[in-house]
This record gives sequence, C-alpha cells and structure tokens, in this order.
Amino acid sequence: MMPTAPLKVVIVGGGTAGWMSAAGLVRLLASADYDLTLIESDEIGTVGVGEATLPHIKTFNDMLGINEAEFMRDTQATFKLGIEFVGWDKPGDAYIHPFGTFGEPWAGLDFQHHWTRAMLAGEDVGPLHDYSYAIEAANNAAFEFPNEDTKSIRSTYAYAYHFDAGLYANFLRGWAMARGVSRIEGQIVDVGRNAGSGHVETVTLKSGAVIAGDLFIDCSGFRSLLLGQTMGVAWQDWSEWLPCDRAFAVPCARTEPLLPYTRATAQPGGWIWRIGLQHRTGNGHVFSSAFCSEDQARETLLGQLDGAALAEPRLLRFQAGRRAKAWEGNVIGIGLAGGFLEPLESTSIFLIQAAVTDLANLMPTRGGIDRRLADEYNRLFEVHYDRTRDFIVLHYCANRREGEPLWDHVRNMRLPDSLAHKIALFEANAAAPDYKYGLFSRDSWLAVLVGQGIVPRGYNRLADSLTLDELGSKLRDLKRRIRTNAAAMTGHGDFIANYCPAPTAAKPMESAA
Amino acid sequence: MMPPPCGRVVVVGRDAALWLATNVIRTALAPAGVTVTAVELPSRLEPADVHATLPPLEALHNQLRIEEAALLRAVGGAFTLGQNFADAGGAEPAFLHAYGAYGTAIDNQDFFAYWLKARGLGLPVGLEDFSLTAAAARQGRLLIPDDETEKYGRSDYGYHLPAAAYVRSLKGLAVHDGVTIHAADAIEVLRDGDRIEALAFDGQRIEGDLFVDATGEGLLIDALGTERESWRSYFPGDRMLVASGPKFGSIPAYAEIRAGSGGWTGLYPSQARSHVVHVYASSLCSDEEARRDAAENSGLALTDVDIQAVDPGMRTKAWAGNCVAIGAAAATFDPIHNVELHAVQLGLIHLLAFYPAGSDFSAERAEYNRLMRSSFERIRDFQAVHYRLNPYAGSAFWAQARQGDASPELAHTIALFQARGEIAPYEDESFSPDSWRTFFIGHGLVPDSYLPPIDRTPPETMKAQFRTMLGFVKEQVLRQPTHDAYLQTIARRGNG
Repeated sequence: MMPTAPLKVVIVGGGTAGWMSAAGLVRLLASADYDLTLIESDEIGTVGVGEATLPHIKTFNDMLGINEAEFMRDTQATFKLGIEFVGWDKPGDAYIHPFGTFGEPWAGLDFQHHWTRAMLAGEDVGPLHDYSYAIEAANNAAFEFPNEDTKSIRSTYAYAYHFDAGLYANFLRGWAMARGVSRIEGQIVDVGRNAGSGHVETVTLKSGAVIAGDLFIDCSGFRSLLLGQTMGVAWQDWSEWLPCDRAFAVPCARTEPLLPYTRATAQPGGWIWRIGLQHRTGNGHVFSSAFCSEDQARETLLGQLDGAALAEPRLLRFQAGRRAKAWEGNVIGIGLAGGFLEPLESTSIFLIQAAVTDLANLMPTRGGIDRRLADEYNRLFEVHYDRTRDFIVLHYCANRREGEPLWDHVRNMRLPDSLAHKIALFEANAAAPDYKYGLFSRDSWLAVLVGQGIVPRGYNRLADSLTLDELGSKLRDLKRRIRTNAAAMTGHGDFIANYCPAPTAAKPMESAA
Repeated sequence: MMPPPCGRVVVVGRDAALWLATNVIRTALAPAGVTVTAVELPSRLEPADVHATLPPLEALHNQLRIEEAALLRAVGGAFTLGQNFADAGGAEPAFLHAYGAYGTAIDNQDFFAYWLKARGLGLPVGLEDFSLTAAAARQGRLLIPDDETEKYGRSDYGYHLPAAAYVRSLKGLAVHDGVTIHAADAIEVLRDGDRIEALAFDGQRIEGDLFVDATGEGLLIDALGTERESWRSYFPGDRMLVASGPKFGSIPAYAEIRAGSGGWTGLYPSQARSHVVHVYASSLCSDEEARRDAAENSGLALTDVDIQAVDPGMRTKAWAGNCVAIGAAAATFDPIHNVELHAVQLGLIHLLAFYPAGSDFSAERAEYNRLMRSSFERIRDFQAVHYRLNPYAGSAFWAQARQGDASPELAHTIALFQARGEIAPYEDESFSPDSWRTFFIGHGLVPDSYLPPIDRTPPETMKAQFRTMLGFVKEQVLRQPTHDAYLQTIARRGNG
C-alpha cells in the first residue's frame, strides 16, 4: 500500500461490540496501515447482558490466538451445548436446540427424512431430539471436547460459552491495548461533519479534546450516536413480529449441577433466561410492555430465581429491528448501534463477530471510502440480520399457548413471507432450510421446527431406498451409540473445575466497563 | 409403505434431457414405488452436436452407475480440463478457464488476494500457472486428483461427449432397466384445469400424476400457459452454427473458444472428430458469412454444417401444476460455457429434493421454482461476464456484447471485484469464485485493492509459498498421463 499516514479508525464505545471490533481489527489488519483508537466512558454503563454465545465465538477467539482456558478463567465462563426452551410450544413442554447434528445422513439423504418416514409409518422411534448427541450430553449435565475423528458420534457437536460479557470486554481490552489499540477515556459531546460529504470528521469529548478520524465505528449501543443520530440512518422496526421491548436482568447465586446449556422459559408476557456461570447464575426476563407491566415482570423474575438474588434487577428498554444500513458514509454501526434482536438465540455476539470479520475484508484503504465496499457490507449485514430474525420469530409464532394474549398475538400475526415459506415446506416434506450464507444451519432449524410441535406430513421419498426394518435397526443402533457414549462423559462442573477454574471472589458484572 | 403421492411419472421429450430425466427419476424413486414412462419425440440432434459438460455431471453419472471409462469408450468422448479463451486476431492474450483451483491458501486466506498483491509488486507469473488443472491442460495432460493434489486444491474435469452417441447410451440404460418407452411424432396435451391429465398420441392415451417436460421447446409447460421471459438483452448472439472438423493429431484436454470479428468459434475435441460451434448475431452477419467465419476461425475443413437459433430465456415457473420442465423447456442459455446439461442436472437434483411428498405439493413447487430461478439467474450472470467485459476491439459483435444488460446482482459482483478483487457470495451459485475471477482477470480488470488482512503475512512468507506452489504444480503435472495415453488405456481396457 502507499507509504502515507495510516488510516485513522475511531471506535466509539467500549462494550462487547467496541472491544470485539478493536481486538478483531488489530489482529486482522496490518499495523502500518491502520491506526485504531477506542473512546469509552466510565460514566456510561454497557448493556453487558450478552452472556451466552454461539459456537462461532471459538473461531473468533482462535483467530485472535486466545488461550481458551485462560479466557474462560478470566470471564467466569462455562461451556454451552445448546439452549433449552421450556414451555414454548405449550406449558410443560421442553426441548433443546443443540449445537450439533441430528442423526446421520443415510442413503445420501438428511436424517430427518428417515426419522419422519419411520414416525409416519407408526414406528416407535421417539422424538427427533433423541437422536442428538449434544442433547444427550446436555441432559446429563456433562461436557467433553468433541472428538476429532469425524466418524465418531462424539464428533457430532460443537460448543459455545456462557461468560460474563463485561469481563469478556475487559479481557479483550487488555488484549487489544497490548497490541496497539489506543484507548481514550471520555464522553462524546459533539460530532463534527464535513459540510460537503457529510462524513464524520471529528468527535469532541467533554474534556474539550477533539478526536479526528477517517473512519468511525459506532459501538455506542442503543443510542446509535453516529449511525442513527448523526448520519440519520433510518430504523426498521420489527416489533410487529417481535413484540418484546423490555428486560429485567438480575444475577443470583450459583446452583448445582452446573448446566452446560442456557435455559429460556416461556412466560405469559415473555420469557426468562437462565445462564449458569462459574461464580453466579445470570437471569433475565424479556417481556412485552404491551402484555406485561414492569412490576409484574420484575416479580415474575424474582419469583423464579433458583438461587439468592445478588443485586437489584436492572431494567433495559429496547425495540427489535435494525438500521436500514449498517454502513453510511464513513460510519459503520456494530452491535446494538446497528440492530437489536432479543437474546433468545444468543445471536448478539455472533452478529458483532460477523460484522468485524466482514469489515476487515471490506475495510477502506487510504484511497478513501469506497461505496462499492459499503454496498457489499450492507448486503451481508441484511443477510445476517434478516435470516436471524426469521429464526427467532419461529420460536414465537409456532406455539400452542392458547388463551395467553401475547402468545395468541404472535401465533396469529402475519409472518415474513420468507419464514412462512420455510414452515410450509417443512410441513409438506420435512425439508429444513439449508442456505449457505447467514446464521443457523439446517439442524438448528430442525431443532426448533420440531421442538415447536410442527410435524411434517410427508418426507423425501428417496428415504424409501432403505427398508423399514433396516431403518428401524439403524435408528436403534444410533440411539444406543448416543446413550452409551454420552454416559461415559465427565460432568460439566468437574470438567470446569479441572480445566479452567475461575477465582471465586470475582467482580460482579456491574463493575465491568 | 405409504403409496407414493405422485406414483406415475411420464417423461416426455427428446435427446439427453429425456433420458437423463427418465433414468435419474427411475433410479432414485423406484424404491418408493414410483414408475416412469418415457415418451420419446423425434431427435433434434445433428451429427456434429457435442455435449461439452461441466464437472458436476460425473456425480450424476455415478448415481446412474454409468462408468466413466465405459462411457467414453462407447461414445468416443474425451476429457476436458477447461476452456481456453483466445482472440482469433491475436491482439488479446489467451486465458484458460480451468475446472480446478487457482493456487492454495496462505495463512488461511484465499490465494487470489496474495496473487493480486504480488502482481501489483511486479510478479510476472500469471494466475493459471498456479492451477494444476490449467498447467496440465496446457501440456496435453490430465490431472487425476489424489490426496496430495486435493490438499492443494480442487482439480475437476468435464467431458466432450458426441451427443448422438451419448443419447444412445443413456437410452440403452433406460431400456436395460425395463422402462416403458413410447415413440411419438407429435403429442396432444389433455388438460384438466391447471394440471395435465394425460397425453394423447397415435391413438394412445397415457395418464400420469406428474409430467416431466423434456421436449426442449416446452410443449407441456406451454399448454399450462406459463410465461417465458427473454434474456436476449444480455447476449449478443442469436444464431449458432454447428459443424464437424477432422480430429486433432493429439487430442487437446480442453476446448478452445476463439473470439473472431463476427462472433466466437468453439472447438471441442472428441476422439473421432472436432466439434465446432460458431455463435453470431443475425443482425450483423449472414449465415453465409458465418460459415466462412467458422471455417476461418477454426482453421478446419467443416462438414455436417447446421444452423440453429439461439434464444436465451427462462420460464417464469419451471414447475406449473403437475408439470415440471427440465432442461431447455425450463431455460435456454447462451452457448458459452456449455451449461446445457448442467441446467438439466440442476433441474433433476432439485426435483428429487422436492419431489411431491403428498397430494398437496404447492410448497415443494414454490421452493423448486424459487431455487431454479435463482440458480438459472446466477448461471446467466456468469455467462454474461464474458460478453459484457470483453476487450475484443474492431468488431461490431463484441462492441454490441459490451452493451449487454447486467442484473443488479451482476453489476454489484463486477463493482465489488473492481473495488477489492472479491466475489460477492450469493446462494445457488454454480460457478466457483475462481471461475468468476478467471474471466474478470482474463478480460483485463485490475482490482483497485485487495483484502487488507493479507498484509499481515510477511512478504518473505508469501514469496516462499509462491515458489513452493509453482514447484508443486510443475512436479505434479509431470507425473500425470497425457490425454492421448489415458484415452488409449481406456480403449485397451475395453478390448481386454
């Protein structure tokens, strides 16, 4: 590249989004070409409730070269094999969305067609979820690393983490600053724009300091200081499909056994998350203010804690949706500044990670801002958010909680066409969505489609190349392999105590930046 | 077992689409109790017609238990590792679109960005020198993939299959498998509302639950009133001449596409002859001129000359009612890149994936139509690149080609490549990023920048990796059999 001054990149905001952006970019970009500065204020709290992740986070950490055990110790982390949804189809029901596959493809055909065929033929095959190794391990509260031998049933899953997001941001702050990211403490009081291009040129801090930049990454959270407020990029409201707009969050004491999965329990006015960390359990009640008052929501949450509350419940307000664009002019919104989806499927941190990876590849050079790169970035942003939205809406729309106003509303609302089509196709022939780009694999869709009580009425007839007897014995053998292998696994609590025990007197999450 | 909801399939058509459809559906769904009846219309093939195929066809042949060596022996076919795009006038450098990877990753990043960077720094080595497949093709050799070459990158191949012999071979398979076959000169489509109830011909009446239209012109799907949208504005050619020429002394392991002033001439070698295709625009060139151009560009004495219309476009719905159009009945393509059988294959693979699972199959049909549109449009866009970005000067045909339409997706793909050298990822894409880049680079586009993350790799590492790759390509290619020798081995095995 040209031997001129490096491109000056200013990251506004230092929560999970800010420090993941800083760490990712300082790792991926050459230091001679990019100068990275992050501005954060100790006076502004971060949301920091993003405590549950998806398996992709491991790719991000590996890319940074982070030592897993060290990172887990420092963030009070535990392992996560999936999410348990309690009462989402109807009260009393529960299913797990695992980070793993269902069964194996047989005769060149995806497993669910074989399972559907046997089920429709009246065979006693049990639920689809019996054919997931990750679910069996989760139910046993066990954990081990996946086997590298791809022929082994023990290789058919991945894992993510539960961690204290504030501590994770702290961890990444130390990591990124050690590698050359400058940190400036201060609150932004003014934004200077170029009169011609409208690009942001400077931000002014309360102290009077003026920080100039070529590119600004807005990680200011819900405020969307630069992307929304300064650049005026419109907000697309998705509350028509996702009516939850508030959450109370509260930590409570740890309980045993240490569960290797997140739990999401449906409530009359929303749902409650439960995330077990090493030093405490994170809890929260996501609810719709149209269907549940704040007082009710707070009481419901406190009434369902399985340990002593460690703090006062904290209220968050939000709206589901995304900005029309994530990149406008020389401003890129990452994290909540770009969009918000409730934490039902732990997608916030993944969406940050995808944004950082895409941005590194589409980063402007010193030649200046290139519309063509921004167009591609915005296209990928839409793919990520819109596909994730459909997946989350599925949890709501397919429910049988008759007579509960919130649930009646979401059952009867008009769905995005892209989602209605996916459901209709699964009902018709058990085909699960199988796109290449964007979040959530075929197996994830299957877990929730079947978990929410949608039963296919047909299957791909290529499955008929096996006889029903052959199929029956293959299914029994698979179940047996899953049971016996999972039974031999180490307990999750023991595994953590051995692999990455965190100091017991950890800082509570509110102390995080 | 539950009875199949569409248990009686009637495939109507001709030539490769008819027999591929018949064999694929029968083989896959016979265990489910589906029966297939074939109604064969008169062939439209000319003696000079060839199916130049893309790599995925091998997998379809495997499903049909068609053995490669036996097929090539039976039809006199040859291998092809790609297509060499040359300027008949010699002004523009030639480039090879090889069916394999170009280079191998460095630091888990795509090779291409490193090549771009190195070229900017003065590296005088072309992209194709890093391709095992391209290097083998240039040397008249094949590239039989093994573990070592697979680690380096994909090395695929297609075939040049004389069409009439290939069709005989496919039909033989259907006959062997006991498919009921009717021959008809013409058919009448008997409708029941928006579905087809039966076909009538020669006093016979054939009923079916699902009808597959492999007629080429779309006799069945037309009867259901589906619309067709034209892609003529993307492509300059509306006429195609096919002809035979004498065989090459040594059979090249690739096709050659020569840009002439009146259009392009493709040479597709098979064992016994050279198949020649010449594409031109009737508004700019008479059929007589085209004959002369084809002979001149190919440098061959041409026989079996036949002239056909070219009219790219697709049905708005490839599946209407209970009728699925496969191949040309669903979409016709410009002759560049030989996507005809690939389109047949895509249609069949998606039909198997969304074969009716019940009596109401509207969801399957909607998904099929969505996928086919998306897949066909991506192919069309890939084909359009060769025309829209061509550098061939002094020719009304190529000047007109540069004015061709671009879909928003294609315009964005070109813009992003120009900006960064990357290929925008879209769903349902048939061609790899390497294939797209071959045409962008081959036609002289120079990206304004490359992936910034590759600057983290020290220059010495990059240089050392380049040297290792070039050495590997050289060494591997020398180990490979020549195309001629390999074809002889296949022939001998047949005799033995």
